[in-house]
Amino acid sequence: MGNKGLSSVEELEGLRKEILSKRRPDKPVITVCTGTACQTYGSLEIYQKLADQIKKQGLEGAVVEAKATGCHGFCEQGPVVVIFPQEICYVKVKLEDIPEIVSATLDQGRVIERLLYEDPVTGEKITKDPDIPFYKNQMRLVFGNNRYINPSEIDDYIALGGYSALSKALFKMTPEQVLEEIKKSNLRGRGGGGFPTGIKWETTRNAPGEIKYVIVNADEGDPGAYMDRSLLEGNPHSVLEGLIIGAYAIGSSQGFVYVRQEYPLAVSNLNVALKQAKEYGLLGENILGSGFDFDVKVHRGAGAFVSGESSALMTAIEGKVGEPRPKYIRTAVKGIWDRPSNLNNVETWATVPLIINNGADWFRGIGTEGSKGTKIFSLVGKVNNTGLVEVPMGMTLREIIFNIGGGIRDGKKFKAVQTGGPSGGVIPEKFIDLPVDFDELSKAGSMMGSGGMIVMDEDTCMVDTARYFLNFLANESCGKCVPCREGIKQMLDILTDITEGRGEKKDIELLEEVAATVKDFSLCALGTTAPNPVLSTLKYFRDEYLAHIEQKRCPAYVCKPLISYYIDPEKCQACMICLRQCPVGAISGGKNQIHVIDQTKCTKCNTCFEVCPPRFSAVRRLSGEPVPPPVKDRVLVRRKG
Amino acid sequence: MVNLTIDGKAVTAEEGTYILQVAQANNIDIPTLCYHPALEPFGACRLCTVEINSRGRKRLVTSCNYSVEEGLEVSTNSEAVIKGRRMILELLLARCPNVPLIQELAKSYGIKKPRFKLEDDNCILCGLCARICEERMGVSAISFSGRGLERKIDTPFHIHSEICQGCGACAFVCPTGAIKLEDITDKEPRPILSEFNAGLSPRSAIYVPFPQAVPKVPVIDRDVCIHFLTGNCRTCENFCQAGAINYDQEDEIIEADVDAIILASGFDLYDPSALEEYGYGKIKNVITAMQYERMISASGPNEGRLERPSDGKTPKKLAFIQCVGSRDTHHKLYCSSVCCMHATKEAILANEHYPDLKAFIFYTDMRAVGKRFQEYIARAEQEYDVTYIRSRPSKITENPDNENPIIWYEETTARTRTTMEVDMVVLCQAMIPSGSTKEISDMLHLSLNDYQFVDIPDRLFHPVDTEIPGIFACGFCQAPQDIPDSVVQASAAAARAAEFVSRKD
Repeated sequence: MGNKGLSSVEELEGLRKEILSKRRPDKPVITVCTGTACQTYGSLEIYQKLADQIKKQGLEGAVVEAKATGCHGFCEQGPVVVIFPQEICYVKVKLEDIPEIVSATLDQGRVIERLLYEDPVTGEKITKDPDIPFYKNQMRLVFGNNRYINPSEIDDYIALGGYSALSKALFKMTPEQVLEEIKKSNLRGRGGGGFPTGIKWETTRNAPGEIKYVIVNADEGDPGAYMDRSLLEGNPHSVLEGLIIGAYAIGSSQGFVYVRQEYPLAVSNLNVALKQAKEYGLLGENILGSGFDFDVKVHRGAGAFVSGESSALMTAIEGKVGEPRPKYIRTAVKGIWDRPSNLNNVETWATVPLIINNGADWFRGIGTEGSKGTKIFSLVGKVNNTGLVEVPMGMTLREIIFNIGGGIRDGKKFKAVQTGGPSGGVIPEKFIDLPVDFDELSKAGSMMGSGGMIVMDEDTCMVDTARYFLNFLANESCGKCVPCREGIKQMLDILTDITEGRGEKKDIELLEEVAATVKDFSLCALGTTAPNPVLSTLKYFRDEYLAHIEQKRCPAYVCKPLISYYIDPEKCQACMICLRQCPVGAISGGKNQIHVIDQTKCTKCNTCFEVCPPRFSAVRRLSGEPVPPPVKDRVLVRRKG
Repeated sequence: MVNLTIDGKAVTAEEGTYILQVAQANNIDIPTLCYHPALEPFGACRLCTVEINSRGRKRLVTSCNYSVEEGLEVSTNSEAVIKGRRMILELLLARCPNVPLIQELAKSYGIKKPRFKLEDDNCILCGLCARICEERMGVSAISFSGRGLERKIDTPFHIHSEICQGCGACAFVCPTGAIKLEDITDKEPRPILSEFNAGLSPRSAIYVPFPQAVPKVPVIDRDVCIHFLTGNCRTCENFCQAGAINYDQEDEIIEADVDAIILASGFDLYDPSALEEYGYGKIKNVITAMQYERMISASGPNEGRLERPSDGKTPKKLAFIQCVGSRDTHHKLYCSSVCCMHATKEAILANEHYPDLKAFIFYTDMRAVGKRFQEYIARAEQEYDVTYIRSRPSKITENPDNENPIIWYEETTARTRTTMEVDMVVLCQAMIPSGSTKEISDMLHLSLNDYQFVDIPDRLFHPVDTEIPGIFACGFCQAPQDIPDSVVQASAAAARAAEFVSRKD
């Protein structure tokens, strides 16, 4: 669409001025979050209806604007709609709310009370989203711009100052100076390894060879982690800008973005961003007229967790099966096609422009001694406010889970938080005041990982959790090396036996013995970190393991083969609700006949437990004890009153 | 060169070599399963893990792909290493409890019965097969498919491969015998048959032709060597410690000015397939005398066991047919001179190995002209259960029930036509001047006589002189004769040549 190629900083700044001048700060903009999570709530249809409504009323353009943005992070409350300039935040918006939202916005930005977020503790309705505790307690340096940006619109990014870091790097700094700045900032990789980014860049830069590569690792495989997805979907230019700056510092003219197969929206938004950046002369040959050439290829994964491991990822880019390579030479020295290759996580790249713009000293002012800056976590599990949160390193787990996450849902008790995905471990309550920091988490037997934070309550079985992660890893292991392939299989076998009531005393010792070999002898990090969930749950919750083994009891009532459902004859009022709802007809009884569960038919689906009216609470879960035989006399004597 | 220590022993090595290679060169044993000197290190079995101390840091690394460094301290059997190896072997044994190699390795580390549930696989997923197919043969007919517990060696789409070249390298390197060629291709591999063993056993493309070869150095058969056929492989090069393998070697043409030539080009064996009535090549249990010799030889493919081709049974009734192709108007008119005696020797050997074996020699007339040869024949009859039947059989057929050959012949003394069913038949085939005899004779303009032997004009007084002065011929190339006679003629030819050369000066 015409040659918009910018060939100088002046032209970029000129464009920026132009874009800003065309945007009236007082014009209402109704943004709808269309990140993947909100899309599952139907937010795409909501946006469409909004756009249609505005068009129908002839309001588009000058009067009011509809914008589809990327993920805001408050995923528990989606679909999320934020109206600018007032920053009115509506949550759990439905399709039928749209006409009212439009008319209220036109009506001088009137607030629709019922759509506002209500603080569960105070009962207060909060209008502006920065005031919502979930957002207020975060430091959304990297992620915050998502709410302003339509990812298919490069102008939105430029309007926010986008690509100013790139132009500063290209024209005001030498590659060495850029490298020094990143080194000085002590930025550590956000993908899980926590390796000092500046040092990795330097190793790549200094490695012999003319051709060097830079890579974005968007394989994000940890179950429950979706920070990278939301960043790539919602603000792809931030990642791209960081990548180009890195390529400049390292001396690379070819970049790759490896996106996992399961992120189609991220891929399509990324491709749009690449195309638009190219059109604007911000990517490709002679970027901004600086003489620096750099281009990007997008490579899609094929559905394997292990191909997120850096040597496996590079092998996949070479066109081979994504399996880790057994090499002791760093991929920064010999990577793709044996050329120096610098791989960083999506979030790491997105942090780079901030550092260049604000300086390493500014960055070091945030965070702890060993971990600088902010980190995006996906806070999920048994917490009230699930979503993506960005906090400064050093904030405690308690603050994240309770102040931002809103505490444990349904008033249950916190038990543990699992960090680092399948490579990480659990952190129990006694360490809940641990600051979020690479080294602190490792010391406690877990790791930061890519940012997954799964909150667990009293209803979570830690043995089952370990089994879950081992099962995941057994399926995702590439199978090349013996310790990982066979070791994880045997550990899973033992854990399955334990959760199904066949555990024996010697199992824990055998488990620890196998774990030691898997940890020390596996070929890649998938294997060497695979025992972590087991080892950390054993460390902090050994009693649960022992209960499963010695008493055949699951304290959390999760492991189905170890629990039985029993209707307390003293409490049952023969209301027939559970009898009717039981999917396998295991409950016998009648209007005045106390209900009894046939243990041979019961599938432990939990339905009767859930549907028994709370005032009766007659259904009990038993574990580690035999089910009492049915009472002989089942005629009900109704309670008075 | 770098200096390092392995288990306390100081060693030096070239930079860039791997710890495992250095250890092997210094006779320090590190167990391996997926390592092969001609393939890229794979790092899959993890058995070769050693503990290193590098710049103050203790680490466990696989020795097959960790390059040596100056000052490296390597421990191949520290406690941590042994523990890990034990567990790896225990895990492997649980997967493959019936594979002898794994059983032995595990046993050597004290593991008899794994503490895990047993499976019954025989593939340890070492990848040697797939790797040799890709890296050395350049074919990639098989590879790994599936991930994790589903991982296995397979062909694309699990069907017979069209590109498999049937070289059998995969089955050869497989340490457990899990790879079967018939699972990969429906091509039948054509075995390379050892010429020295008369086709009774296979040999490889690079081979020492026979134990007494001069020089006793392997040669590469360019007609069947994969490298010469496809440009790939070259695996032998990786094993030769002397670096002696040279694929570019060409025939050397040496020009020499000589004063005399001795032709001693020897004999070839006549192919008895030409005598269709005897069924050689069709009836399994009809073999040649040369094949018999290799079978009965203690250093042959059977180590001296007489096992008939169809079912490996030891024959109880063995027949020898003389003059197969010799003294025959349809084939060779002359007598090959040595067959009567070698048949007798062979019959005696058979009875010596198997005392209840009876041999029958069907002869035209017994050519026992050497010293004490007739006594030898008499002893065969009297002490070794050899029966001589004067007859030239007309045909050999096969009993379909047991694959026994049936000999049809006329008893010339009794004048009866009859048959004899035996377990195995040895055809004493004719011997002919070797192919090179004619070639060289043509080059030298030497005449051949009617029987294609080098012509000796004056057999009485100049038994080794050819028609051309200075050119002498000895041995079978000029007349059928046995070893002692050939040796005498060789001495004679040498003496004649020396005389001739000295006279020239």
